[in-house]
Amino acid sequence: MSADTAFAPGDRVTILDLGKPGHVRTPLYVRGKTGVIDHYCGQFENPEERAYGRIGRARIPLYRVRLTQRDLWPDYDGADGDTLVLEIYHHWLRPA
Amino acid sequence: MTERLISDIGGLPAGEVPREEVPQLYWEKHMIAMFNVLWDKGVFNLDEFRRRVEETSPEDYKRSTFYGRRLDGMTDLLVEKGIIDRAELTARSDEILRAGTRDHVR
Repeated sequence: MSADTAFAPGDRVTILDLGKPGHVRTPLYVRGKTGVIDHYCGQFENPEERAYGRIGRARIPLYRVRLTQRDLWPDYDGADGDTLVLEIYHHWLRPA
Repeated sequence: MTERLISDIGGLPAGEVPREEVPQLYWEKHMIAMFNVLWDKGVFNLDEFRRRVEETSPEDYKRSTFYGRRLDGMTDLLVEKGIIDRAELTARSDEILRAGTRDHVR
């Protein structure tokens, strides 16, 4: 399994809570939630490294993950099929 | 213990969101132009800027504005990198404020 294709569209994934201090791009409200890989975006330098001036390091896979609004917000009063798609780096995901 | 970044407000109670269009002030346009040049030239990257803004105290963050946070984040980053000097910046800002004029371009 190569790092850049670890997940494929349609795979169910759970977003981790790495508890990592400093600049991270995974909002609290999606941590621990399970969704589906919507799209593989490519490989990018890790913003958690770039935020401290460490540029030119390894590129890591980024995915768009689709979550249902109902899973995110227990009191959501929109349509059942409403979803949210957001970009999550590979190391914040595990197979669900 | 999971840290909540000051910018990570998804799902928190927000109250009413103001919808009116606010005209951009001259200094704001000027500052964004400066920001974009520094970013484009690789003086700093966007992740560094975001990290710097997130290091603002919650009180200062909430008291500030979109453009205020950008200006402070940018200048803090330039000070952090040793490109500008904090004392020099403060002295120059005070000088302009004392003069009470907008015509401060040398």
